[in-house]
Amino acid sequence: MQIRDYVLRRLLVLPLLIVGTSIIVFSLTRIGGSPIGIYLSHEMSQDEVAQLEERFHLDDPLPVQYLFWASGVVRGDLGWSGVAAAPVTQVFPTKLAASMELAIAAAIVAVVLGLALGTYAGARRNRLPDHLTRVFSISGASMPLFWFAILLLIVFWVNLGWFPVGRSDADIYGRIAHPTGLYTVDALLAGDFAALRDALWHLALPAITLGYGATAIIARMMRSSLVEELQEDYVDAARAKGLPERLVLKRHARRNALIPTVTVIGLTFGFLLQGAVVAEIIFQWPGLGRWMADAVLRGDQATIMAYVLFTSVLFLFVNLAVDVVYAYLDRRVVLGE
Amino acid sequence: MTLPQPSMSPARATATDVIASVTDLRVHFRAKGGTVHAVDGVSFDIHDGETLGLVGETGCGKSVTARSFLRLVPMPPGIAAGGSITFGPEKTDLTTVDDRTLRSIRGDRIAMIFQDPGKALNPALNVRDQIAEVFCEHRTDDVLDRAGIDVSGQPGPGRQLLRRRAAGRSRLHERMVLALPPLRGRRRAIEDALDGMIADALAETHIPNPRKVMDRYPHELSGGMRQRVMIAQALACNPDLLIADEPTTALDVTVQARIMELIADLKARRRTSVLYISHDLSLVRRICDRVAVMYAGRIVEIGPTDRVLAEPLHPYTRGLLAAVPSASQRRGELVAIEGTVPELIDPPPSCRFVGRCPHAAPACERRDPVLAPIDDGHAVACFLHHPPEDVADDDLPTAGWAGRS
Repeated sequence: MQIRDYVLRRLLVLPLLIVGTSIIVFSLTRIGGSPIGIYLSHEMSQDEVAQLEERFHLDDPLPVQYLFWASGVVRGDLGWSGVAAAPVTQVFPTKLAASMELAIAAAIVAVVLGLALGTYAGARRNRLPDHLTRVFSISGASMPLFWFAILLLIVFWVNLGWFPVGRSDADIYGRIAHPTGLYTVDALLAGDFAALRDALWHLALPAITLGYGATAIIARMMRSSLVEELQEDYVDAARAKGLPERLVLKRHARRNALIPTVTVIGLTFGFLLQGAVVAEIIFQWPGLGRWMADAVLRGDQATIMAYVLFTSVLFLFVNLAVDVVYAYLDRRVVLGE
Repeated sequence: MTLPQPSMSPARATATDVIASVTDLRVHFRAKGGTVHAVDGVSFDIHDGETLGLVGETGCGKSVTARSFLRLVPMPPGIAAGGSITFGPEKTDLTTVDDRTLRSIRGDRIAMIFQDPGKALNPALNVRDQIAEVFCEHRTDDVLDRAGIDVSGQPGPGRQLLRRRAAGRSRLHERMVLALPPLRGRRRAIEDALDGMIADALAETHIPNPRKVMDRYPHELSGGMRQRVMIAQALACNPDLLIADEPTTALDVTVQARIMELIADLKARRRTSVLYISHDLSLVRRICDRVAVMYAGRIVEIGPTDRVLAEPLHPYTRGLLAAVPSASQRRGELVAIEGTVPELIDPPPSCRFVGRCPHAAPACERRDPVLAPIDDGHAVACFLHHPPEDVADDDLPTAGWAGRS
C-alpha cells in the first residue's frame, strides 16, 4: 500500500479514536468526583448548590452529561478553568505555546545530540569515546529529573547567574508581536535579536533538563543498534565495493540502525511532555504541565479533561508519524497489514 | 530460460602469470584463553584466469584468509600477525597498502561474493542504489561519458556538482540545486547512464527484466535472484580477482547448480581469476582448476584439482574425500573423520592434524610438517611424504593407509 493511502486511511479512523478516547477521559475524570467543587463557596446554601448543579446539567445521568460536554468540545467550548479563572479555550493556546516551545527545544537537543553521540560511540565501540558516552548516558537516564533541574538552578542561576528562570521578562516580550506564541520564533520574525537571545537564555536550563534524559535514551538506543548493524554482512559488502568508511556508516549502517531508534524517538516525545510537569514547576515555566498540576490538585476537571484529550490526540498523531517514518526507513514494513 | 552451456570442466589455465600471491599469512584473534591462530602461515598463488578452490571444514580459517584479501577482518579482535598478500603486476601488498589505494582496489579489481545474499545486501536500499554505488565509486568518468557530459573541459561549479553526483557524493543541498532547471537535464542524463550500466550488469547474470528488478528491495527477491544481484554487483567493474565465499551454501540445491554455472560461465568469458571458498568437495571438483585444502589455519595440500582428488596425499584430504558420498559407493562406506578441529589457542609445535590422523606417529607430535612439493605443482604438508632426515624411522608415520586408497 502506498504511504499516502495509509495516512489517509488512518486519518479517517482518527475521529472514531478521538471519540473513544474522550469517553474514557470523561469517565475516568468523573471517577474523581463531581466537578462542582471548584464553583462553590462556603456561603452558598444547599439550594444554591442544587441550582448550580442543574445549571451545569450535573444532576443528569453521566451519559447525558458526556453529551453536553462533548457537544461543547465540538463547538470549541472546553469549559471554565477555575485555576486560570478564564475559559479553557482562552488560556490553552498560550500555555500550549509555552510547553511546545520547551518540548521542541528539548526534542531538538535530544534528537540531534542523541543521534550524533550514539553514532559516534557505536562506530568506536569499546574505545574511549564509547566509554565516555556510556557514562554520560547512564547518568542521564538514571538521574531524577527534579534533582538535575535543581542542580542546574543552583549552579547556573543562584551561583553563576548565567541563566535566568521563568519566561522572558515582560518589558522584552511585550515589545514584540506574538503571532505564534513561541518566543524564539516570534523574536526571529520580529527581527529582534536581543529578544531572541533573551528567549533562548530563558529556554536553556529547562530545555537542557528535559533534553538530557531523552538524549541519553536516544544515544543508548542508537549506539547499540548501530553496533549490531555494523556486524552485518552488508556492511562488509559495502566496504568490499570500495566505499569510504564515512559512507559505509552513513548510507548503510546508520540508516538501518535508525529503524529501532525512531520508535524510541517517538516515545521520547511522551517522555518530554511528562517530564515537562516537573521541569515547568521548577523553572517557573508557564506551560501546560504546571497548569495541569495545579488543576489536578484543585479538582479543576474542565482543565484536566482538556489536557488529557489534547495529549491523547497528540499521541495519535505522533504514532502515525512514527509509523510513516518507520515504513520509509524499513522497506520490509508493509503499512496497513 | 536458456543458459549458454558453460564448460563444466574448464581448461587448465595456460598462462602462469601470478595475479595474487599469499605469503606466510598469519591472522590471529585475541580471545579469552590466549591468542587464536586462525590463519597460521598460509602461502599460495592465484594464477591469471584460474579458479582456485579453498576447501576445509568450518573454522579452518578459509573465510578469514579470503577476507584478508580485502582487509575485511575486523581488527581488533583480529591481529595481523604477519605475512603478505601481493596483488597485480605492481605487487601491491594488500595487508599494508594505504586505505585510499585499498579502496580503489576493492570492488574494482578485487570483488567479493558473500555466503548469504540475504544478509550481504542492504535491506534498506533497492537493487539500483546498491549496484550504482560500485559504478559511482570506480567508474565516475564512464558514467559522465555515457551521459554525454564532457569531462575534459574546465571544471566549473556546475560540472563539479555533476561530477559529485556521478560519484554518488551529492549532499542534501547539492541535490536541491541539481533538481533545478539549469542542471536538471544533465543530472537526469547521469541517472539514465547509471541505470543503463546497472541494467547491463544485471542482464549479464541472466536476470529477466533487469529494469524492473532495479526498483526492487532485497526482501522482494528470491535467494537465487539475490545472489545474481550480488554477482552482478561484484562483476560490475570486471575485476581481476573474484573472491567467492561459499556463494551457494545458503541456496537451494537446484538454485545452487544455476549459480555455479553462472559463475563458471562469467569467469570463462572474462578471464577473471576466482578464489572459490567451499566446504563442499563435490562443488570444487566441478569448477576449480586447482584446489588448496586448509586445516586448522594451515594449507595441508595444494595442487591441480584432478590430481588432488584422484591421488590425495594428506590423510586429511583422504578423510574429506571419504566423507563425500558418490554414486559408485556402496552403502556404509561413508566415513566421517573422527574428532573435531582442535582449538587454535596458542597451538603447540606439532602437526595440527595429529589428534585425528590414523597415521599419527611420535614425530608428528614433536614437529610441524611444512608444505613441500611432490611434483608438478602438487604439494603436501605431511611426514608421510616428507620424512625429516634427523628423525629415527620408528618415530615416523607409516603408510598403512586408511580410508579410500
